[in-house]
Amino acid sequence: MKVSVDPERCQGHNRCHVLVSEVFDVDELGFAVVVTEHVPDHLVSRALEAVRNCPERAITADLEPSDDAGQHP
Amino acid sequence: MSASGENFGHHGSDLDSIFSTYRELRATCPVGRSQRYGGFWFFTRYDDIWAAEQNPGVFSVEQGMLLPSLGNERPLIPLDIDPPSLQQYRRMLLPAFAPARIERLEPFVRDVAGSLIEGFAGEDVFDASLSYARILPLIVFSEMAGLPRSDYDCFQEWVERTMYGRTEDPADAVRAAKEVCAYFRELRRRRLDEPARDDLVGCLLSGRVDGRLLSEDEFADYCFLLLVAGLETSAWSIRSALWHLAQHPQDRRRLVSQPELMVKATEEFLRCLAPVQGMARTLKRDVEVRGQLLGAGDRVLLLLGSGNRDEDVFTDADDVVIDRVDNPHLAFGIGAHRCLGSNLGRREVRIGLEVLLSRIPEFELADSDVPWWGLGPLPLRRCEGAGSQRGGAASTRSAATTRSAASTRSAAPTRSAAPTRSAAPTRSAAPAGGVV
Repeated sequence: MKVSVDPERCQGHNRCHVLVSEVFDVDELGFAVVVTEHVPDHLVSRALEAVRNCPERAITADLEPSDDAGQHP
Repeated sequence: MSASGENFGHHGSDLDSIFSTYRELRATCPVGRSQRYGGFWFFTRYDDIWAAEQNPGVFSVEQGMLLPSLGNERPLIPLDIDPPSLQQYRRMLLPAFAPARIERLEPFVRDVAGSLIEGFAGEDVFDASLSYARILPLIVFSEMAGLPRSDYDCFQEWVERTMYGRTEDPADAVRAAKEVCAYFRELRRRRLDEPARDDLVGCLLSGRVDGRLLSEDEFADYCFLLLVAGLETSAWSIRSALWHLAQHPQDRRRLVSQPELMVKATEEFLRCLAPVQGMARTLKRDVEVRGQLLGAGDRVLLLLGSGNRDEDVFTDADDVVIDRVDNPHLAFGIGAHRCLGSNLGRREVRIGLEVLLSRIPEFELADSDVPWWGLGPLPLRRCEGAGSQRGGAASTRSAATTRSAASTRSAAPTRSAAPTRSAAPTRSAAPAGGVV
C-alpha cells in the first residue's frame, strides 16, 4: 500500500503522526510529511486508521499492488 | 426546544440538554434558523459543517467567528481573519505550537499537575475545576506565553467576563475586552524594552505580516484571543472529562490499568464534551444547503458539537467510547482555522487526566447536579475502590446506530493555498506513558 498527504489539505491536526509515526512525521510547522511512502504490511492497518481519522481527509491510501508486492505472501 | 430551532442557543443553560436538542435537530431540521443573537442559521450535520469549513471564500469569518462576540472592538487575530492574510498571522506561532515543541513541555505539565494535586492531598472532597482543571492550563499557557504569574487573577477574571459574561452582561464584556487590550498594549511596551525571548509574546513581537511588524492593536487582539482560547478551552475539556469519569468507574479503571488508551480517550472526550460547540461564519454570497436558501450577509453557526455526534459518521454517536478507533472529530475545527493550539490543548487534557487518575484513581461526584459544561465547580469525592461502584452509569445515553466509513466520503471543495512548508526531521512519538 502507498500513502500520500495532500499538502493543500493538511492543516496540522497531527492525528496521523500520533497514530503511526513510522509512516507520518510532521515538519517544524506541524504539517504532515510521509516518511514511508510504501507502507510495510505490519503498519497497513494503522496507516488506514490514520486515513480514517484525518479530519481534513488529506491522506490518500493507494491499495494497488506496490513495487514490493509479492514479497509478503 | 421546538423542532424548528427558532430559539436554539448554545451557551449557558442551553447546554444542559444540548445533545438531545442536536439529535432532534439533525433528524428534523438539519439546517435551521434561530432568532437569538440577531438571527442566524445553524448547520447540525457533519458533512455540511465539513464542507462549510473547507470553503472560507464563501463562509467568511470577517464578521467574527464567535457568536455572540466577546466584546472585542476589532477582529480577533487570527480567529476573525480570512485567508490569505490568515496564514501569515498563523505562521508566526505555528512553530511554537508544533508537536515537537509541545512534547518538550510535557515534563513541566506533569510537574504542575502533580503539585496541584498535592495542594488538595488532605481533602476528602475537592473542587477539580477550581483547584485543578482551571489552574493547570493557566500555569502552562502563561509560562509558554511569557505572562507573569502575578497577573493570574486578572486573566481568570477577564475570561469569565468575556467568554461567559457576553451572554449575560454584554456591556461588561465590552469593558473587560478594553481592559484586556490595554493590558497587552502595556505588556508590549514593557517587553520591547527587554531582551528578546522566544515565548509566544516574543514570537508575536518579532513576527511579520506583509513584511512589517504587528501594530500595537494587532498585538493586543492576538493576545486577547490566545488568552481566552488558551485558558478556557483546555480547562473546560479537563473538567468535562473528569465529570464523565466520576460517573463511569469502568472507564476510569480501564484508563488507570491501560494508560496507553489515554490518547484515544482524550480524542473521545473532545468529540463528546468539547468546549467549542459552535463557530460562526458570514456568507459572502447566496448559497443553498439541503434545500434552504441562505442569503449573502447571513450569519451561519457551524455546530461542531452536533457534527461530532452525527449518527451517519460515528457509531453509537451519543456514547462516550474511550477506545473509539475511527474518530475524525471536529472539536478543534477544520480547514484553514484549525485551532492553532490544538497540540497544546490535547496534551494538557491527556496529561491532566493521566496524572490525576494515577494519584486519585477512585472518585465520584460529590454533587450530582453539576452540569457537564463550563468552568463551574466540580466537587469530587475520593472513594475506596469498591465504594465507587455505585457511581456508574448516571448519564447513560441512548446509542445511535448507523455509520459510514470515514474514508469513503467524497471530496469537498478547494481551499486557499497554504504557505510554503519546509520539512523537518525532528520529533518522536510520545507514548502515553502512565505514571502509575
